[in-house]
This record gives sequence, structure tokens and C-alpha cells, in this order.
Amino acid sequence: MSQQLDAETETTTQTIRESLNQALHEELERDERVLLYGEDVAEYGGLYKISEGLYEEFGEERVFDTPLAETSLGGTAVGAALAGARPVVEIMYADFLPIAGDHLINYAAKMYFNYGDETSVPMVVRSMYGTGDGHGLHHGQSPEAWFMNVPGLKVVMPSTPREYKGLLKGAIRDDDPVIFLENKMRYGESGPVPDEEYTISLCESDVKREGTDATIVAIGGMVYEALEAAERLSEQGIECEIVDPRTISPLDTGPILESVEKTNILVTAQEAPTFGGFGSEVAAQVIDDAFFYLDAPVKRVGAPFTPIPFAENLEEAYQPTADDIESAVIDAIET
Amino acid sequence: MVHETINHTELLEDLLLTRRFEEKVLEVYQDRGIRELPHSSLGQEAVGVGACYPLEDDDLLAPSLRTRAAMLLRTPVEEIVAGMYGTESGPSSGRTTEHHMGSSEYGILGTTGMIGSHLNPAVGAALGNRTLDNDRVTVVFFGDGASQRGEFHSALNFATVQELPVVFVIENNQWTEAMSIDKLVDVDDLADLAGHGLPTEIVDGQDVEAMVEATAEAADRARSGDGPTLLEAKTYRYRPHAETMPEHRDEATLEAWKDRDPVEMYIDRLLERDQITEAEIESIDEQLQTTIDDAFDMAESDELPDEETLYHVYKDTEIDHWKGVAK
Repeated sequence: MSQQLDAETETTTQTIRESLNQALHEELERDERVLLYGEDVAEYGGLYKISEGLYEEFGEERVFDTPLAETSLGGTAVGAALAGARPVVEIMYADFLPIAGDHLINYAAKMYFNYGDETSVPMVVRSMYGTGDGHGLHHGQSPEAWFMNVPGLKVVMPSTPREYKGLLKGAIRDDDPVIFLENKMRYGESGPVPDEEYTISLCESDVKREGTDATIVAIGGMVYEALEAAERLSEQGIECEIVDPRTISPLDTGPILESVEKTNILVTAQEAPTFGGFGSEVAAQVIDDAFFYLDAPVKRVGAPFTPIPFAENLEEAYQPTADDIESAVIDAIET
Repeated sequence: MVHETINHTELLEDLLLTRRFEEKVLEVYQDRGIRELPHSSLGQEAVGVGACYPLEDDDLLAPSLRTRAAMLLRTPVEEIVAGMYGTESGPSSGRTTEHHMGSSEYGILGTTGMIGSHLNPAVGAALGNRTLDNDRVTVVFFGDGASQRGEFHSALNFATVQELPVVFVIENNQWTEAMSIDKLVDVDDLADLAGHGLPTEIVDGQDVEAMVEATAEAADRARSGDGPTLLEAKTYRYRPHAETMPEHRDEATLEAWKDRDPVEMYIDRLLERDQITEAEIESIDEQLQTTIDDAFDMAESDELPDEETLYHVYKDTEIDHWKGVAK
């Protein structure tokens, strides 16, 4: 289901940073059960200034700094959500999520299953990923595959400012636990954001660009790389369709299958290592349900199976880009 | 004196319910097995019973898997037993074990198989209740084992810094799985591990009245906005960590603790103070035994859950549990 903007929708150009700040502001204002906390989110306004001004506006009972203990962030969010609040916690870098992993994987994901009375865990964990800034091994990993194998969690990776805002509001209102992944290299990207209040529901894939020759399923920051690759390919006469799942798990496969049935070519694009990754699941789903529509083997674009390196040239070699997507599409079509 | 304000018949009933229940579990397990492996609380019943007694009905309990008293005092007995059998009438119709069950209706925080994993969630529940602006107190029970985990420190610190309405109760039963506690920590009192500027108190966990008194004070403190307290209840578990792992115990030590058995101590005291008669005790006991026996009979003849019960993973999104989102 496409959620493209209508031509009549009034919009303002905003950065992802601004759209996230606005989403948090609106939800804190709308619902007194919403809380925002984490390391440096209050007085400092968040390491990347996403929560700037919110502590001043909503006070220290709604927006506060916490001890440097991700296990407390994950654990208290589960408890607060079970008690009926709507906590949004920031676990600074996604690389730190495993510290709270017990609470995310064994607690948050399983309490709706565990309780007998429809109690669920409406919490949101915001966390950053993204390579290309020389932050090295532990400040940029793309962790979606770590969590997509956990039933009970929802994993969200938005791409554009409009979606960052709509999906964060959607995640806060969702009754299930959500890991909301923000690409720290893209906070400055700008785009049209509706002036009117809106939310975007989780678990709905979106078609970002229509095309007839190849399907690119790209997630998070890779949507921008896919769009760039598609422009270049268009100049060569190849029209790509880009599907942006937005919610990684549970995955809305419908639009992916429909697109492949039309284009007969599938390329996936992610920042994480290709092996055991999101693209592999997409490939498997397509092979299960649309195998006879495929004209060529599926191509998966992603990182090699190594940690994120530090040196500039190594990082460049590691990081998947529009070039890789472009080559993958051409390879698939020429097969 | 706190014992003047206690309804002793009620408190004894709570204590005897827990004791008789645990005895029955053992008897049935040894005779014909129970799906949930028993982790018995025999010997340490006064901790949970005494701590729950002074609380309000809507205060939240966060029991460990061994705090059977907390489960029994909030949940219908037949539901607990069905939970142990994994049958249809259990707390989540067999999706989870009774050990970790959670229920908003009964005010019990669900937990996991990771010892001490519920400490931060309990603190979070107190945070949630502060946000919702009610005056519910959270009482979290955990064993000596959990006090060795980092969770213990992060939870205590978070609760103290945020001045949250939490009562931490360490049930120090002297044994972490099959290891004696003195091999695992280098302090005599686990309360000394706390720090964090948190008020602590060591309580005789065999003395149900002492538990009532200490918890009442800590809960009042929490309710009036003065933050958390840690109670270390010194107690002893008669049985092994789990019924499948027999432990070597020093007989003299075990006997010394049994000389201070929490149920017998309390009964002796009540009889001495003329606050109850032998006949009254016998009548309470008989009634409890019937309730417990009936609950086991019901569970043993209860149906297993329908397979559809398994598919209960997301509240807000309907999915195909093999493919993803159902469209």
C-alpha cells in the first residue's frame, strides 16, 4: 500500500532531526502517559540534538537523564509500559542495544505472550546506526537482523523525514514493543513533512519509486542510495521500482511480491552484513512465493561479513553505496 | 507493637496456605510428576507472606519464581495449579509457566527465566505508576543469586536517583542454585552490597511478624515519596534449587534452621499469647487442604490448550506466523 503524499497536502521542508523532535513534542503534549528518557536526552538535548528543548518544555518527570546503564533503560521501559505508561527511551547507539538485550529479547518481546489478560508492552526504544563517520567498530552497526528473529518485537527503520515523524508517532501509539532505528548519517536529510497532524501505521511497506524493470527492496539509509542508483539507471533506460518496507519485522511482504511479479528482478539493499541479514529473508520470501516470476538470481547488496573498520579506505570498502546497487541491478538484468 | 494491629487468623491462614501448597506440590511431583519443575519455597514462606500482608490490594508485586506466597495471595489457587500443569485454565492458557506469570488484574509483574531480570522492570513499573500519578507501591522479591548480578546495582541506583516507590526484598535463603552463598560473596550481609545511598534493613525472615513490620515501614516510606528501601530477609530453603538437583546440606545447619521454622514459630507464639486455639488452627488447615486438593484435582483433569493459543504474539498487528504481516 503506497502512502505517497497527495498533491494538495500542505507541507514544510524539514530535516529528519526536526521531524523527530516534532514527533516527540507532539506525543508528549498529546498523551500524559508518554515519557522520554535516556543518557543525555534531557539537559543536553540528545547527543544529536533530537530531543532539544523537550526537557525545558515538559519538565523532569516527563523528560529526564538517566544513569549510564542500558540495562536500566531497557528494563525500566518494560516495567513502565506494563504498568500503563508509554515510555520512549533512547539507547544512544544501536551497538549498545545488546546491553539491554535481555530486556528487549526475553522481556519486552514476550510479555504479551506471557500475560493472560491482554496486557502488552507499549514501549519504544530509539537507537542510532549508520556508517561513514569514522566511528569504528562500536558506534554504527545496523542491528535489524539481530532483532528480526525475535517474535514479539517490532523493528522500524524509516527513511525520509515524513516517515521518521509519522512512524515515530505510530510507534509510540502502537501497543507492542518497538525498536526504532535512526540513521545518524541522515539526520540532516530534508524533505516535505505535512503540516497537518498525521501518523503512519507500522508494518506497512511503501513503494518509494515506481518502475517496471527491476525491484530494489531497500531499508533505512539505503533508500537514499537506492533512489540515487535508480536515477542513474533511468538515464541508462532501466526503470527501477523501490520498495521501502519501513517496518523490518513483522514484514509486510505484499508490496515486495507484487513488485517482483511486475519487474521479475529483485535486488535488496541494507547496511548490515549480507550474510544472515534482512535481504536474505526477503530473498527467501520471494523464492517461496514468487519464484517463477524471477528472471534472474536475487542480488543482495550489503556489507561484508566483517566488523565496521576504522581506517578511511577500509570503511569505504566496507560501506555499501548507490554504486553497488547500480551494479547489482545491471548484473541481474544482464544475467 | 505491630502484632497488636495484625489480624493473626488471616496472617496464619496466608502462611499455612503457602506451606500446605508447597507440601502438596512436592507430594504430587514425587508421586506422579508435574509439568513445571518445582522450585520449592519450603522454609522461607514467611518472607513473602509477611511482606505482602501490609500492602494495599492494588500495590504491585514482582515475585521471583520462588516467591510462591506472593502468587498465592493474589491469584486463585486453581489458576496457579493449572499454570503449573500448562492447561487451558492456567494464567495464559499454557503459553507460559506459573513461575513467570504476569497479570495486571492480580497486580503481579510478569518475569522471565533470567534470575534478577525483573528488578529493572519492577523499578520501571514504579516509574510508570509515578507517571500515571497514582500511589501504588511496587514490592520486588529476589534471591541472593540476583544480588550478584549487575541488574541489582543498576536497578537500585535508578530507583534511588529517581526516588521511586519501590521496596526491594532480598530473600536470602543462603543458597544460590547448589552453591552456598558464603562462597559467592565476601560480605556477611547482602544488604552491604547495596550502597547507592539506599536505606537498608536486615530482617529475620523466619519471623512473619517482623516481615510485616519492616515491609509496612518501607511501603509507607515509598508511598509518601521518600523513595526505595532494601530489606534483606535472612531465611533458609529446605529443598534444593530445583527438585531435579539434589544438594548436599549439612544436617546440623538444616536442623538448626528447622528449629526456627517460620510456621511453627508463629503458631507457638500465637498459642502462647492466646491469640488462637489448636482447634481453630485445625479448622483453618482442613479448609486450606480441601481448597488445595480441589485445585490439583481440577488441573489434573483440565484440557490442554487449543493450538491457536500459541499465536498470540502482537497485540496491534495481525500476522501470519510464518510469513510476516497477514494481508
